[in-house]
Amino acid sequence: MLRRLLFVALTVISLNVANSSFAAAQSQNFEHENEESTLESYNRAMFSFNNGFNHYVLMPVSRGYRAITNQFVRNRINGIIKNLKEPISFTNYLLQGDLKNSGVVLSRFVINSTLGLLGMFDVAKGWGLHNDVTSFDDTFAKWCIPDGPFIVLPFFGPSTPRATAGMALGFAVDPVYWATYHDANVSAKISYSYSALQAVALMEQNMDMLNDLEKNSVDFYATMKSAYLQNRRNKGCFNDVNSSSNVSYDFDFDMEEEEETIHHELLINTKKTKNKKPELLLAQ
Amino acid sequence: MKKYLILLALVCSFSFASANVNAAVDAQGAENFVKNVTADGIENIINANIPQAEKDKRFEKLFNNALDLDFIGQFVLGRYWRTSTPAQREAFIEAYRKLNVQTWSKRFDEFKGRNFIFTGTTPSNTKNQIFVNSEVPMEQGAPAKVVWRVEQKGNSYKVVDIIIENVSLAITARNEYSAYIKKAPNGVDDLIKDLQNKTK
Repeated sequence: MLRRLLFVALTVISLNVANSSFAAAQSQNFEHENEESTLESYNRAMFSFNNGFNHYVLMPVSRGYRAITNQFVRNRINGIIKNLKEPISFTNYLLQGDLKNSGVVLSRFVINSTLGLLGMFDVAKGWGLHNDVTSFDDTFAKWCIPDGPFIVLPFFGPSTPRATAGMALGFAVDPVYWATYHDANVSAKISYSYSALQAVALMEQNMDMLNDLEKNSVDFYATMKSAYLQNRRNKGCFNDVNSSSNVSYDFDFDMEEEEETIHHELLINTKKTKNKKPELLLAQ
Repeated sequence: MKKYLILLALVCSFSFASANVNAAVDAQGAENFVKNVTADGIENIINANIPQAEKDKRFEKLFNNALDLDFIGQFVLGRYWRTSTPAQREAFIEAYRKLNVQTWSKRFDEFKGRNFIFTGTTPSNTKNQIFVNSEVPMEQGAPAKVVWRVEQKGNSYKVVDIIIENVSLAITARNEYSAYIKKAPNGVDDLIKDLQNKTK
Protein backbone atom coordinates (compact mmCIF):
# COMPACT_ATOMS: atom_id res chain seq x y z
CA MET A 1 0.00 0.00 0.00
CA LEU A 2 2.85 2.33 0.87
CA ARG A 3 4.36 1.60 -2.49
CA ARG A 4 1.13 2.58 -4.22
CA LEU A 5 1.01 5.85 -2.33
CA LEU A 6 4.61 6.59 -3.19
CA PHE A 7 3.99 6.01 -6.85
CA VAL A 8 0.95 8.22 -6.91
CA ALA A 9 2.82 10.95 -5.06
CA LEU A 10 5.75 10.67 -7.44
CA THR A 11 3.41 10.87 -10.41
CA VAL A 12 1.67 13.96 -9.14
CA ILE A 13 4.94 15.67 -8.29
CA SER A 14 6.50 14.80 -11.63
CA LEU A 15 3.56 16.09 -13.61
CA ASN A 16 3.57 19.29 -11.56
CA VAL A 17 7.24 19.78 -12.27
CA ALA A 18 6.58 19.18 -15.95
CA ASN A 19 3.84 21.78 -15.97
CA SER A 20 5.63 24.43 -14.00
CA SER A 21 8.85 24.04 -15.94
CA PHE A 22 6.85 24.41 -19.11
CA ALA A 23 5.33 27.62 -17.83
CA ALA A 24 8.76 28.80 -16.73
CA ALA A 25 10.25 28.04 -20.12
CA GLN A 26 7.47 29.99 -21.77
CA SER A 27 7.80 33.01 -19.54
CA GLN A 28 11.57 33.07 -19.96
CA ASN A 29 11.20 33.34 -23.67
CA PHE A 30 12.53 29.81 -24.03
CA GLU A 31 15.76 30.34 -22.23
CA HIS A 32 15.79 26.66 -21.68
CA GLU A 33 19.54 26.51 -21.57
CA ASN A 34 19.84 28.53 -18.36
CA GLU A 35 17.21 26.50 -16.66
CA GLU A 36 19.00 23.36 -17.66
CA SER A 37 22.40 24.46 -16.47
CA THR A 38 21.17 24.37 -12.87
CA LEU A 39 20.12 20.80 -13.41
CA GLU A 40 23.08 19.87 -15.50
CA SER A 41 25.67 19.40 -12.78
CA TYR A 42 23.30 17.09 -10.91
CA ASN A 43 22.47 15.25 -14.13
CA ARG A 44 26.08 14.76 -15.08
CA ALA A 45 26.95 13.44 -11.64
CA MET A 46 24.02 11.03 -11.64
CA PHE A 47 24.81 10.01 -15.19
CA SER A 48 28.36 9.10 -14.31
CA PHE A 49 27.14 7.21 -11.23
CA ASN A 50 24.73 5.22 -13.39
CA ASN A 51 27.41 4.66 -15.97
CA GLY A 52 29.70 3.27 -13.29
CA PHE A 53 26.93 1.06 -11.96
CA ASN A 54 26.25 -0.21 -15.47
CA HIS A 55 29.87 -0.95 -16.18
CA TYR A 56 30.71 -2.57 -12.85
CA VAL A 57 27.47 -4.30 -11.94
CA LEU A 58 24.78 -4.51 -14.57
CA MET A 59 26.93 -5.20 -17.62
CA PRO A 60 28.99 -7.97 -15.98
CA VAL A 61 25.76 -9.63 -14.81
CA SER A 62 24.28 -9.21 -18.28
CA ARG A 63 27.38 -10.73 -19.83
CA GLY A 64 27.00 -13.65 -17.44
CA TYR A 65 23.38 -13.98 -18.43
CA ARG A 66 24.43 -13.92 -22.07
CA ALA A 67 27.06 -16.57 -21.41
CA ILE A 68 24.69 -19.08 -19.81
CA THR A 69 21.85 -18.61 -22.28
CA ASN A 70 21.64 -18.69 -26.04
CA GLN A 71 19.68 -16.37 -28.30
CA PHE A 72 16.75 -18.79 -28.40
CA VAL A 73 16.38 -18.83 -24.63
CA ARG A 74 16.82 -15.07 -24.39
CA ASN A 75 14.13 -14.53 -27.01
CA ARG A 76 11.74 -16.66 -24.94
CA ILE A 77 12.52 -14.68 -21.79
CA ASN A 78 12.14 -11.37 -23.62
CA GLY A 79 8.86 -12.68 -24.98
CA ILE A 80 7.55 -13.41 -21.49
CA ILE A 81 8.53 -9.96 -20.25
CA LYS A 82 6.99 -8.32 -23.29
CA ASN A 83 3.80 -10.29 -22.86
CA LEU A 84 3.42 -9.09 -19.28
CA LYS A 85 3.54 -5.52 -20.58
CA GLU A 86 0.61 -5.97 -22.94
CA PRO A 87 -2.04 -5.24 -20.28
CA ILE A 88 -0.32 -1.88 -19.70
CA SER A 89 -0.45 -1.15 -23.41
CA PHE A 90 -4.10 -2.20 -23.42
CA THR A 91 -4.95 0.25 -20.62
CA ASN A 92 -3.09 3.04 -22.34
CA TYR A 93 -4.61 2.52 -25.75
CA LEU A 94 -7.98 2.78 -24.04
CA LEU A 95 -6.89 6.00 -22.30
CA GLN A 96 -5.74 7.33 -25.66
CA GLY A 97 -9.11 6.48 -27.15
CA ASP A 98 -7.55 4.01 -29.55
CA LEU A 99 -10.04 1.15 -29.46
CA LYS A 100 -8.58 -0.65 -32.43
CA ASN A 101 -5.10 -1.02 -30.98
CA SER A 102 -6.39 -1.80 -27.52
CA GLY A 103 -8.31 -4.67 -29.11
CA VAL A 104 -5.21 -5.84 -30.94
CA VAL A 105 -3.11 -5.73 -27.77
CA LEU A 106 -5.75 -7.53 -25.73
CA SER A 107 -6.06 -10.27 -28.35
CA ARG A 108 -2.31 -10.61 -28.42
CA PHE A 109 -2.20 -10.98 -24.65
CA VAL A 110 -4.90 -13.66 -24.62
CA ILE A 111 -3.46 -15.60 -27.55
CA ASN A 112 0.19 -15.39 -26.52
CA SER A 113 -0.49 -16.16 -22.85
CA THR A 114 -2.22 -19.38 -23.82
CA LEU A 115 -1.18 -20.70 -27.22
CA GLY A 116 2.10 -18.79 -27.02
CA LEU A 117 2.99 -20.39 -23.68
CA LEU A 118 3.00 -17.26 -21.49
CA GLY A 119 4.41 -15.18 -24.30
CA MET A 120 7.41 -17.36 -25.05
CA PHE A 121 6.23 -17.55 -28.64
CA ASP A 122 4.60 -14.70 -30.51
CA VAL A 123 1.76 -16.71 -32.07
CA ALA A 124 -0.40 -13.62 -32.53
CA LYS A 125 2.18 -11.94 -34.75
CA GLY A 126 1.86 -14.79 -37.20
CA TRP A 127 -1.84 -14.03 -37.34
CA GLY A 128 -1.21 -10.44 -38.27
CA LEU A 129 -1.56 -8.97 -34.78
CA HIS A 130 1.58 -6.90 -34.51
CA ASN A 131 3.10 -5.78 -31.28
CA ASP A 132 2.93 -2.05 -30.81
CA VAL A 133 3.83 -1.03 -27.30
CA THR A 134 2.43 2.06 -25.68
CA SER A 135 2.86 3.44 -22.18
CA PHE A 136 1.49 5.99 -19.74
CA ASP A 137 4.12 8.35 -21.05
CA ASP A 138 2.63 8.08 -24.56
CA THR A 139 -0.80 8.66 -23.07
CA PHE A 140 0.38 11.80 -21.27
CA ALA A 141 1.93 12.97 -24.54
CA LYS A 142 -1.39 12.38 -26.30
CA TRP A 143 -3.08 14.42 -23.63
CA CYS A 144 -0.63 17.22 -24.46
CA ILE A 145 1.04 17.19 -21.06
CA PRO A 146 4.43 18.87 -21.56
CA ASP A 147 7.57 16.85 -21.14
CA GLY A 148 9.61 19.07 -18.83
CA PRO A 149 13.40 19.20 -18.57
CA PHE A 150 15.84 16.36 -19.00
CA ILE A 151 16.64 14.59 -15.73
CA VAL A 152 18.79 11.59 -14.96
CA LEU A 153 17.24 9.23 -12.41
CA PRO A 154 19.33 7.01 -10.20
CA PHE A 155 19.57 3.54 -11.82
CA PHE A 156 16.78 4.22 -14.32
CA GLY A 157 18.86 6.71 -16.29
CA PRO A 158 17.70 9.39 -18.72
CA SER A 159 14.19 10.64 -18.10
CA THR A 160 11.93 13.66 -17.91
CA PRO A 161 9.26 14.48 -15.33
CA ARG A 162 6.57 13.20 -17.67
CA ALA A 163 8.50 10.03 -18.42
CA THR A 164 9.06 9.52 -14.68
CA ALA A 165 5.37 9.90 -13.98
CA GLY A 166 4.57 7.45 -16.76
CA MET A 167 7.08 4.96 -15.45
CA ALA A 168 5.77 5.21 -11.88
CA LEU A 169 2.20 4.63 -13.02
CA GLY A 170 3.42 1.75 -15.14
CA PHE A 171 4.86 0.12 -12.04
CA ALA A 172 1.65 0.79 -10.15
CA VAL A 173 -0.52 -1.11 -12.62
CA ASP A 174 2.00 -3.85 -13.36
CA PRO A 175 0.09 -7.15 -13.55
CA VAL A 176 2.96 -8.99 -11.86
CA TYR A 177 2.47 -6.86 -8.78
CA TRP A 178 -1.28 -7.33 -8.64
CA ALA A 179 -1.13 -11.06 -9.33
CA THR A 180 0.89 -11.56 -6.15
CA TYR A 181 -0.77 -8.79 -4.16
CA HIS A 182 -2.50 -10.97 -1.56
CA ASP A 183 0.74 -12.34 -0.12
CA ALA A 184 3.16 -9.61 0.92
CA ASN A 185 6.09 -11.98 1.31
CA VAL A 186 5.77 -13.62 -2.10
CA SER A 187 4.91 -10.30 -3.66
CA ALA A 188 8.15 -8.63 -2.62
CA LYS A 189 10.28 -11.55 -3.73
CA ILE A 190 8.60 -11.84 -7.10
CA SER A 191 8.55 -8.10 -7.75
CA TYR A 192 12.25 -7.70 -7.01
CA SER A 193 13.31 -10.74 -9.03
CA TYR A 194 11.12 -9.66 -11.89
CA SER A 195 12.58 -6.13 -11.83
CA ALA A 196 16.11 -7.49 -11.72
CA LEU A 197 15.41 -9.86 -14.59
CA GLN A 198 13.96 -7.04 -16.64
CA ALA A 199 16.99 -4.84 -16.00
CA VAL A 200 19.41 -7.59 -16.94
CA ALA A 201 17.47 -8.63 -20.04
CA LEU A 202 17.19 -5.02 -21.16
CA MET A 203 20.87 -4.38 -20.62
CA GLU A 204 21.77 -7.57 -22.44
CA GLN A 205 19.89 -6.31 -25.49
CA ASN A 206 21.36 -2.81 -25.38
CA MET A 207 24.86 -3.07 -23.96
CA ASP A 208 26.61 -3.51 -27.30
CA MET A 209 24.94 -0.42 -28.64
CA LEU A 210 25.70 1.56 -25.48
CA ASN A 211 29.34 0.56 -25.49
CA ASP A 212 29.63 1.42 -29.16
CA LEU A 213 28.06 4.82 -28.57
CA GLU A 214 30.28 5.55 -25.60
CA LYS A 215 33.41 4.53 -27.44
CA ASN A 216 32.72 6.86 -30.35
CA SER A 217 31.57 9.81 -28.36
CA VAL A 218 33.57 12.66 -26.85
CA ASP A 219 30.80 13.65 -24.43
CA PHE A 220 28.66 10.61 -23.70
CA TYR A 221 26.27 12.52 -21.49
CA ALA A 222 25.54 15.09 -24.19
CA THR A 223 25.06 12.35 -26.77
CA MET A 224 22.63 10.40 -24.62
CA LYS A 225 20.71 13.49 -23.63
CA SER A 226 20.33 14.64 -27.20
CA ALA A 227 19.37 11.23 -28.53
CA TYR A 228 16.96 10.57 -25.67
CA LEU A 229 15.12 13.85 -26.09
CA GLN A 230 14.94 13.55 -29.86
CA ASN A 231 13.61 10.03 -29.63
CA ARG A 232 10.76 11.28 -27.46
CA ARG A 233 9.56 13.72 -30.07
CA ASN A 234 6.73 13.00 -32.47
CA LYS A 235 4.73 11.17 -29.86
CA GLY A 236 1.73 13.12 -31.09
CA CYS A 237 -0.70 15.21 -29.15
CA PHE A 238 -4.42 15.63 -29.73
CA ASN A 239 -3.97 19.38 -30.30
CA ASP A 240 -1.16 18.93 -32.73
CA VAL A 241 -2.05 18.85 -36.40
CA ASN A 242 1.44 18.01 -37.65
CA SER A 243 2.09 15.16 -35.27
CA SER A 244 2.45 12.43 -37.85
CA SER A 245 4.59 14.24 -40.38
CA ASN A 246 8.30 14.91 -40.51
CA VAL A 247 7.73 18.60 -39.90
CA SER A 248 8.81 18.62 -36.29
CA TYR A 249 12.31 17.48 -37.11
CA ASP A 250 12.48 19.61 -40.16
CA PHE A 251 14.85 21.91 -38.32
CA ASP A 252 16.43 24.56 -40.44
CA PHE A 253 19.96 23.73 -41.31
CA ASP A 254 20.96 27.03 -39.88
CA MET A 255 24.61 27.13 -38.96
CA GLU A 256 24.26 29.87 -36.43
CA GLU A 257 21.51 28.44 -34.28
CA GLU A 258 22.17 27.68 -30.66
CA GLU A 259 22.67 24.03 -30.06
CA GLU A 260 19.82 23.83 -27.62
CA THR A 261 17.33 25.13 -30.14
CA ILE A 262 16.20 21.72 -31.10
CA HIS A 263 15.14 21.05 -27.55
CA HIS A 264 12.92 24.08 -27.59
CA GLU A 265 10.97 22.40 -30.30
CA LEU A 266 10.07 19.79 -27.75
CA LEU A 267 8.13 22.36 -25.84
CA ILE A 268 6.31 24.11 -28.59
CA ASN A 269 5.53 23.50 -32.17
CA THR A 270 7.99 25.49 -34.05
CA LYS A 271 7.24 28.92 -35.37
CA LYS A 272 10.50 29.30 -37.14
CA THR A 273 12.09 32.37 -38.46
CA LYS A 274 13.64 31.89 -41.83
CA ASN A 275 17.10 30.47 -41.86
CA LYS A 276 20.20 32.13 -43.09
CA LYS A 277 21.86 30.23 -45.83
CA PRO A 278 25.18 28.56 -45.10
CA GLU A 279 26.83 30.45 -47.96
CA LEU A 280 26.21 33.69 -46.12
CA LEU A 281 28.00 32.43 -43.08
CA LEU A 282 30.86 31.09 -45.06
CA ALA A 283 31.36 34.50 -46.56
CA GLN A 284 31.61 36.13 -43.16
CA MET B 1 -18.87 24.80 -70.65
CA LYS B 2 -16.03 26.60 -72.31
CA LYS B 3 -15.86 28.99 -69.37
CA TYR B 4 -15.42 26.10 -67.01
CA LEU B 5 -12.69 24.65 -69.14
CA ILE B 6 -10.79 27.91 -69.10
CA LEU B 7 -11.27 28.19 -65.38
CA LEU B 8 -10.07 24.64 -64.94
CA ALA B 9 -7.04 25.31 -67.10
CA LEU B 10 -6.29 28.40 -65.06
CA VAL B 11 -6.60 26.56 -61.78
CA CYS B 12 -4.44 23.77 -63.11
CA SER B 13 -1.71 26.05 -64.32
CA PHE B 14 -1.75 27.92 -61.03
CA SER B 15 -1.51 24.82 -58.95
CA PHE B 16 1.19 23.61 -61.29
CA ALA B 17 3.15 26.78 -60.84
CA SER B 18 2.88 26.70 -57.08
CA ALA B 19 3.71 23.02 -57.01
CA ASN B 20 6.86 23.79 -58.95
CA VAL B 21 7.90 26.41 -56.46
CA ASN B 22 7.44 24.08 -53.53
CA ALA B 23 8.76 20.96 -55.14
CA ALA B 24 12.07 22.20 -56.43
CA VAL B 25 13.46 18.84 -55.41
CA ASP B 26 12.81 15.87 -57.63
CA ALA B 27 11.19 13.53 -55.11
CA GLN B 28 11.47 10.45 -57.27
CA GLY B 29 15.08 11.23 -58.07
CA ALA B 30 15.92 11.66 -54.39
CA GLU B 31 14.21 8.42 -53.45
CA ASN B 32 15.94 6.54 -56.24
CA PHE B 33 19.25 7.95 -55.09
CA VAL B 34 18.78 6.65 -51.54
CA LYS B 35 17.51 3.33 -52.89
CA ASN B 36 20.63 2.96 -54.99
CA VAL B 37 22.92 3.84 -52.11
CA THR B 38 21.32 1.31 -49.76
CA ALA B 39 21.12 -1.38 -52.45
CA ASP B 40 24.77 -0.81 -53.28
CA GLY B 41 25.70 -1.07 -49.61
CA ILE B 42 23.71 -4.24 -49.04
CA GLU B 43 24.72 -6.06 -52.22
CA ASN B 44 28.33 -4.99 -52.64
CA ILE B 45 29.40 -4.63 -49.05
CA ILE B 46 27.27 -6.43 -46.48
CA ASN B 47 26.41 -9.48 -48.54
CA ALA B 48 29.62 -9.56 -50.57
CA ASN B 49 31.97 -12.40 -49.87
CA ILE B 50 35.13 -10.35 -49.45
CA PRO B 51 37.63 -9.74 -46.62
CA GLN B 52 36.80 -7.13 -43.99
CA ALA B 53 39.55 -4.77 -45.17
CA GLU B 54 38.03 -4.66 -48.63
CA LYS B 55 34.59 -4.12 -47.10
CA ASP B 56 35.89 -1.19 -45.11
CA LYS B 57 37.44 0.30 -48.24
CA ARG B 58 34.23 -0.05 -50.21
CA PHE B 59 32.22 1.38 -47.36
CA GLU B 60 34.46 4.42 -47.13
CA LYS B 61 34.02 5.06 -50.84
CA LEU B 62 30.25 4.71 -50.62
CA PHE B 63 30.18 6.94 -47.55
CA ASN B 64 32.23 9.67 -49.24
CA ASN B 65 30.12 9.59 -52.38
CA ALA B 66 26.73 9.50 -50.71
CA LEU B 67 27.17 12.11 -47.99
CA ASP B 68 27.84 15.82 -48.24
CA LEU B 69 30.38 15.91 -45.46
CA ASP B 70 31.36 19.53 -45.89
CA PHE B 71 27.78 20.50 -45.30
CA ILE B 72 27.29 18.09 -42.41
CA GLY B 73 30.57 19.07 -40.78
CA GLN B 74 29.61 22.70 -40.95
CA PHE B 75 26.22 22.03 -39.40
CA VAL B 76 27.64 19.81 -36.71
CA LEU B 77 30.16 22.40 -35.61
CA GLY B 78 27.33 24.89 -35.33
CA ARG B 79 28.26 28.36 -34.24
CA TYR B 80 31.84 27.28 -33.66
CA TRP B 81 32.23 26.93 -37.41
CA ARG B 82 32.31 30.68 -37.78
CA THR B 83 35.04 31.18 -35.23
CA SER B 84 37.22 28.39 -36.61
CA THR B 85 40.10 28.93 -38.98
CA PRO B 86 40.02 27.24 -42.42
CA ALA B 87 42.69 24.82 -41.21
CA GLN B 88 40.60 23.89 -38.17
CA ARG B 89 37.52 23.42 -40.33
CA GLU B 90 39.36 21.13 -42.68
CA ALA B 91 40.92 19.14 -39.85
CA PHE B 92 37.54 18.82 -38.11
CA ILE B 93 35.73 17.58 -41.20
CA GLU B 94 38.45 15.04 -41.90
CA ALA B 95 38.48 13.79 -38.30
CA TYR B 96 34.69 13.64 -38.22
CA ARG B 97 34.62 11.81 -41.53
CA LYS B 98 37.17 9.23 -40.39
CA LEU B 99 35.37 8.58 -37.12
CA ASN B 100 32.05 8.08 -38.90
CA VAL B 101 33.51 5.79 -41.51
CA GLN B 102 35.02 3.66 -38.75
CA THR B 103 31.88 3.63 -36.62
CA TRP B 104 29.40 2.95 -39.37
CA SER B 105 31.51 0.41 -41.17
CA LYS B 106 31.16 -1.74 -38.05
CA ARG B 107 27.51 -0.95 -37.41
CA PHE B 108 26.72 -1.56 -41.05
CA ASP B 109 27.73 -5.17 -40.72
CA GLU B 110 25.04 -5.82 -38.15
CA PHE B 111 22.58 -4.91 -40.82
CA LYS B 112 23.05 -8.31 -42.39
CA GLY B 113 19.81 -9.97 -43.43
CA ARG B 114 17.78 -6.78 -43.16
CA ASN B 115 16.40 -4.53 -45.80
CA PHE B 116 14.95 -1.09 -46.33
CA ILE B 117 11.34 -0.62 -47.33
CA PHE B 118 10.84 2.81 -48.85
CA THR B 119 7.62 4.56 -47.94
CA GLY B 120 7.71 7.76 -49.99
CA THR B 121 8.98 11.27 -49.40
CA THR B 122 8.05 14.28 -47.28
CA PRO B 123 8.82 17.85 -48.31
CA SER B 124 11.22 19.92 -46.21
CA ASN B 125 11.08 23.59 -45.31
CA THR B 126 14.72 23.91 -46.28
CA LYS B 127 15.42 24.80 -49.87
CA ASN B 128 16.58 21.99 -52.16
CA GLN B 129 16.03 19.38 -49.47
CA ILE B 130 13.60 16.54 -49.04
CA PHE B 131 13.01 13.64 -46.64
CA VAL B 132 13.08 10.12 -48.01
CA ASN B 133 11.23 7.83 -45.62
CA SER B 134 12.09 4.20 -45.06
CA GLU B 135 11.47 1.40 -42.62
CA VAL B 136 13.59 -1.49 -41.50
CA PRO B 137 11.63 -4.53 -40.32
CA MET B 138 12.93 -5.84 -36.99
CA GLU B 139 12.80 -9.34 -35.56
CA GLN B 140 10.88 -8.13 -32.55
CA GLY B 141 8.53 -5.21 -32.34
CA ALA B 142 7.61 -2.51 -34.79
CA PRO B 143 9.87 -1.69 -37.75
CA ALA B 144 12.56 0.94 -37.20
CA LYS B 145 11.91 4.25 -38.91
CA VAL B 146 14.84 5.58 -40.91
CA VAL B 147 14.50 8.95 -42.64
CA TRP B 148 17.10 10.31 -45.04
CA ARG B 149 17.50 14.02 -45.44
CA VAL B 150 18.58 14.50 -49.04
CA GLU B 151 19.86 17.61 -50.75
CA GLN B 152 19.67 18.11 -54.48
CA LYS B 153 22.37 19.98 -56.34
CA GLY B 154 21.51 20.14 -60.01
CA ASN B 155 21.17 16.53 -61.05
CA SER B 156 23.13 15.06 -58.18
CA TYR B 157 21.97 14.18 -54.71
CA LYS B 158 23.69 13.95 -51.37
CA VAL B 159 22.55 12.71 -47.97
CA VAL B 160 22.89 15.48 -45.38
CA ASP B 161 21.34 13.73 -42.37
CA ILE B 162 19.99 10.35 -41.31
CA ILE B 163 17.19 10.28 -38.76
CA ILE B 164 16.79 6.94 -37.02
CA GLU B 165 13.72 6.58 -34.82
CA ASN B 166 13.41 10.37 -34.60
CA VAL B 167 17.07 10.73 -33.65
CA SER B 168 18.94 12.92 -36.09
CA LEU B 169 22.60 12.01 -36.32
CA ALA B 170 23.52 15.57 -37.27
CA ILE B 171 21.71 17.13 -34.32
CA THR B 172 23.06 14.55 -31.89
CA ALA B 173 26.62 15.21 -33.04
CA ARG B 174 26.03 18.95 -32.94
CA ASN B 175 24.76 18.82 -29.37
CA GLU B 176 27.57 16.52 -28.31
CA TYR B 177 30.33 18.64 -29.85
CA SER B 178 28.91 21.94 -28.62
CA ALA B 179 28.75 20.57 -25.09
CA TYR B 180 32.30 19.33 -25.43
CA ILE B 181 33.72 22.55 -26.87
CA LYS B 182 32.04 24.64 -24.17
CA LYS B 183 33.96 22.73 -21.50
CA ALA B 184 37.25 22.16 -23.35
CA PRO B 185 40.06 24.60 -22.52
CA ASN B 186 41.29 24.72 -26.13
CA GLY B 187 37.85 24.46 -27.73
CA VAL B 188 37.77 23.16 -31.26
CA ASP B 189 41.41 22.08 -31.22
CA ASP B 190 40.75 19.73 -28.31
CA LEU B 191 37.77 18.31 -30.10
CA ILE B 192 39.76 17.65 -33.26
CA LYS B 193 42.51 15.97 -31.23
CA ASP B 194 40.02 13.78 -29.38
CA LEU B 195 38.28 12.75 -32.57
CA GLN B 196 41.61 11.92 -34.16
CA ASN B 197 42.56 9.80 -31.18
CA LYS B 198 39.44 7.72 -31.59
CA THR B 199 40.40 6.64 -35.07
CA LYS B 200 44.04 5.87 -34.37
